[in-house]
Amino acid sequence: MRTRNVDKVELVKQKAMEMAVAEGLERFSVNKLAKACGISVATLYIYYKDKDDLITEIGIEEGKRMSSVVLKDFDPQSSLEQGLRKQWENRSRYMMENPTAMLFFEQLRSSSYHDKVTATITADFKDAMGAFMKNAVKRDEIKEMPIEVYWSVAYAPLYSLLRFHSQGQSIGGKTFTISDKVLWQTFDLVVKALKP
Amino acid sequence: MEQQFDNILIFRSDIQTEADTHRIGMMLDNHPWIERWCVDLDDDERILRVVSAKLKHTNIVDIVAGCGYSCEELKD
Repeated sequence: MRTRNVDKVELVKQKAMEMAVAEGLERFSVNKLAKACGISVATLYIYYKDKDDLITEIGIEEGKRMSSVVLKDFDPQSSLEQGLRKQWENRSRYMMENPTAMLFFEQLRSSSYHDKVTATITADFKDAMGAFMKNAVKRDEIKEMPIEVYWSVAYAPLYSLLRFHSQGQSIGGKTFTISDKVLWQTFDLVVKALKP
Repeated sequence: MEQQFDNILIFRSDIQTEADTHRIGMMLDNHPWIERWCVDLDDDERILRVVSAKLKHTNIVDIVAGCGYSCEELKD
């Protein structure tokens, strides 16, 4: 009886993300991935129907893992500042520890796989983020605003810093490495901007 | 991911196009012992994947040959 080897599944996931980032989704092939993993092509096709299925499944699996990291110890009842701080901690930790996954998601975002992968973002994640925002509005810690406005202020600065860090440079090619000081300095400005 | 991995048969094939896929589909779609099948046209080896609890690799090779194409078992 065939069984799933957990170590192999994890290896396939990691190598697939690395290959998609290095070569692009267009040039990605299951055959090349099998060679990179040192396993037979047939083994990969037993677990995944085809290239599209493999990329979609891996995106969904990693998306679920990311959601659980981002929600760890996050309380939707907490104050705006406390909750956002925990989100910044969790999101920056995930991105710093998983730079390949971060680049993989960026590739998916501009591809035909994006809708299928985001459709499976866990209900837990959406519920927690929605409840947190509602509670903050109810407590007058923030004014009601479109989600796009909120996200652009609350999280876009964080992702901008993390992108500078992963590229090793910021504006005009200046060398950049993220530090706690820069991260929390930016965070304080974000909180200030969001408060009514 | 599918949970039942034992009934999956994998082949490299010479199926090249959507039209080829359509032609063999006329046989595979109507076969009572074939649950699902697909061809990865993105792959260099045009991998044919068949799910069947009753058929063996040789049966699929014969069915595909009957449609004017060839395929060869890939061992895992």
